[in-house]
Amino acid sequence: MPRNGKLVRITLALAAAALLGALAVTSAGAASKRSTGTLTGAGSTLIAPAVAVWQQLYKGATINYSAIGSGGGIAQISARNVDFGASDAPLTKSQGDGCHGCVQIPWALTATSPVVNIPGVGADQLRLTGTVLANIYLGNITKWNDPAIKSLNPKLKLPSLTITPVHRSDGSGDTYVFTNYLSKVNKAWKSKVGCATTVSWPVGIGGKGNPGVAAAVAADPGAIGYVSVAYVIQNHLRLARLKNASGQYELPTIKAIEAAAQLVKSTRIPANNKISITNPPKSKKYRNAYPLATFTYVLIPQTTPKAAELKAFATWALGSTAQSAIRKYVFAPMPTAVVKAAKKTLATLHT
Amino acid sequence: MSTHDATANTARRPFSGRRVRLGDLLLQAVAGLAALGAVVLLGLVAYKLVEGSRLSVSTFGFGFLTRSVWDPVHNHFGAASFLFGTAVTSVGALLLATPLALGIALFLTELAPRWIRGPVTALVETLAAIPSVVIGLWGIIVLGPVLRDHVMPALHSALGFIPLFGRPTTGSSIFTAIIVLTIMILPIVSSVSRELFLGVPSELKEAALGLGTTRWEMVRGVVFPYARGGVAAAMILGLGRAVGEAIAVAQVIGAFDNGFGWNLFNPGDTLAAKIALDYQGATTNFEVSSLFYLALILLVFSLVVNILAQVIVRRVARRQGLAAR
Amino acid sequence: MSAADLSALRRPNDRLRRRRIVNRGMELLAWLAGAVAVAILAIVVWSVAKRGASELNFDLLTKAPVPFAIGNVKQGLANAFAGSLVIVGLATAMALPVGILVASYVNEFAPRPIRTGVGLTLDVLNGIPAIVVGIFVFGLLVVGHGQSGLAGSFSLAVLMLPLVARATIEVLALVPSSLREASLGLGVPRWRTTLGIVLPQAIGGILTGAVLAVARVAGETAPLLFTSSLVGNSISWSPSHALQSVPVAIFELSESPDPADHARAWAAALVLLVFILVASLSARWLATRNRRKLGRAVR
Repeated sequence: MPRNGKLVRITLALAAAALLGALAVTSAGAASKRSTGTLTGAGSTLIAPAVAVWQQLYKGATINYSAIGSGGGIAQISARNVDFGASDAPLTKSQGDGCHGCVQIPWALTATSPVVNIPGVGADQLRLTGTVLANIYLGNITKWNDPAIKSLNPKLKLPSLTITPVHRSDGSGDTYVFTNYLSKVNKAWKSKVGCATTVSWPVGIGGKGNPGVAAAVAADPGAIGYVSVAYVIQNHLRLARLKNASGQYELPTIKAIEAAAQLVKSTRIPANNKISITNPPKSKKYRNAYPLATFTYVLIPQTTPKAAELKAFATWALGSTAQSAIRKYVFAPMPTAVVKAAKKTLATLHT
Repeated sequence: MSTHDATANTARRPFSGRRVRLGDLLLQAVAGLAALGAVVLLGLVAYKLVEGSRLSVSTFGFGFLTRSVWDPVHNHFGAASFLFGTAVTSVGALLLATPLALGIALFLTELAPRWIRGPVTALVETLAAIPSVVIGLWGIIVLGPVLRDHVMPALHSALGFIPLFGRPTTGSSIFTAIIVLTIMILPIVSSVSRELFLGVPSELKEAALGLGTTRWEMVRGVVFPYARGGVAAAMILGLGRAVGEAIAVAQVIGAFDNGFGWNLFNPGDTLAAKIALDYQGATTNFEVSSLFYLALILLVFSLVVNILAQVIVRRVARRQGLAAR
Repeated sequence: MSAADLSALRRPNDRLRRRRIVNRGMELLAWLAGAVAVAILAIVVWSVAKRGASELNFDLLTKAPVPFAIGNVKQGLANAFAGSLVIVGLATAMALPVGILVASYVNEFAPRPIRTGVGLTLDVLNGIPAIVVGIFVFGLLVVGHGQSGLAGSFSLAVLMLPLVARATIEVLALVPSSLREASLGLGVPRWRTTLGIVLPQAIGGILTGAVLAVARVAGETAPLLFTSSLVGNSISWSPSHALQSVPVAIFELSESPDPADHARAWAAALVLLVFILVASLSARWLATRNRRKLGRAVR
């Protein structure tokens, strides 16, 4: 019996110690929550490879980033759970209101792109148009040897395989860019589905984040998905060529993305930096433009206690060191007009 | 005389002639507070879910349960396709798991040599200890491709005339989710059934065998009828577990939200998986509130399942208690 | 009777033969069921063991993850292991005392109707799916305050409470009332009896229940998705903001297209599985030892 009494005393002592320890850790943590030197962000998976590179290079602060999708980034910064959000889709009016005075600053330029997994078809071989893409995702075209696809690819041997369209199951800037493009090129898509970070997909399976879609496409023969270029490279996915308005079947190269970005004129950048460069019109200037190029934004509350750190980080990210470091993930250099507008918006941040 | 009642009697009469000690009052108060806290916690869960879903409930009402739409752009939400997916996956898993679980329970109580029973029982319970995320990981990387490349085409070519076994497309499908759920509810159904079979009075079993029945006829004629209610409770518990499973299902079901189809090889979605996958990106208040609505449906269902199983278990225990005397 | 008649009696007739065949068939099916159960477990555990062992190294436990690494950087899941330790530890610190107190109240003080009521509450709490608990704690603690390891611990504690309380109730009921009566008869106050005599007798069973509860929540993903999933890659021990945890890390890595991520997921799953199995087995061993000890005390 005395042995048991000791046992219970030890257990109670341990429990008390644990509780005290917990309190100590908690209070210490609470004190360090407002510590300078750490910036926490969340959002777009498209920009995640760039942020990961910047995390390793930036010396001014520790950057913590959760890639949960552009929709998540908007939600988290609106709730002020993070210091900055990241979204490839510009804020809608209601999202802007919900964010209570956030600004969106374009800080990188890249593209999302269609990738396919068809046995017998190699990388960069398949040719697609916006209309065919829309019909695939609407469920009107169900097999790879459909005449609509065959007519675009007379030289390819397309199997009689069912198409599995893969989309993003989370709120996604890539979805916004993709559906934005489809709405511009296909009336049926525009009326039936529309354009947003989350839409009601008629057919197909969902993957979480760019990695999820990449994984789904890589795993399923017959799958097609839309993935930002960095993930295409990282996972050796097979790109399909997309026909632009000038009739060229383009791949998302730096040159093609830069060509599309020329759509931006210094007079045409609105105060809220909302820029769309999908589906550049037919013209000599946009002959080789990629139709699914997009800017991606960092979302920062105009009034924030970390204004100085965020300004420093974003300015560094817009600089040449940061931008050239992410070139290898096919982030194209941004037009000077956009960089100027971005820096102008950055200057309005205050504590 | 029940010894427990003696102490309980003392509790009900704390002033029975002895001085009231501060320590006694203190302990009773603190412990009572903890117990009250548990009850309050349960109420709080219900309250928070009702509060969170209020916007969605007031906008969509019961129509939420019949409409199949999840459109954050136009703020139209309806749970019907998730209800369908939950129903199909859970019932499918129950149909597969119950005979298997009963077989295992029978094996462990009647047929297995004594030295095997302990280890195999422990093994089945170990299956229950595997976290759902690990089973989901296994499901994505190992099970999915095997089903997609071998099992689903085979089933389709053999039984393709049944709409259930339509054209297979991807490893992430309702069928994969059913297999995963079957694995997850197998332990609970089999261990509850095993306890029930062990509780069958051996005189009844021996009497039947003495009359010349074969072992199977004894099981069919004595064990099963005796344990029938309890097996129902086991199945209900398994069903509850299947309905509430979010993570493993989210990993393998393919997140397809639009509508109903009978093809098990298509992707789908369930209530629990939708909540798990959609939460982080839910931007509008409507969407968040609709997720709370989904959770409320899950809560109500799990409460009903739980209470039903409790009632049956208590009735069976009473009957077994009577029979034992 | 002639020899022919006797042998006719001994020869099994068709009906009996059919019954025996059916019986044999059913026995085979039952054996098959048992084999299937063992096979499933073996397949899953073997997959985890084989794929996880190859990637298992110290880096997994000591280095932080580096996504999109430049060159061959050593990385691991140290932030997840650290976070899980903190979160599960805090959850146990929250659930264990409360569970013991609830069980003490139910067993030592409560009148019958309250006893059934609290027992029913515990059973209902036990049946609430983990994802519902997650969204509940999200609504309670995360909305307006942000995610935190503490919120994650609280959600796990809610899952642990019914398990700990139930186990403690059962083992307290096993403590012979002769002990209580003897102590009270000697003039020891009620509270001292409970804390100094009854609980120590039950400590084995309580610890068993605690270990089983820990084994149960160590692998829980759903509640942590809501409360502690927006995490960075650095190793942190502070529960005031969101901490990475092993199950959430496995969940995220499992959806990645990168085979290297899958390999880390298998390795983490192996560590998690080993921990849970060791915990369950030791709880079982504790339970048997405890049953034997209590059995001895009755005599």
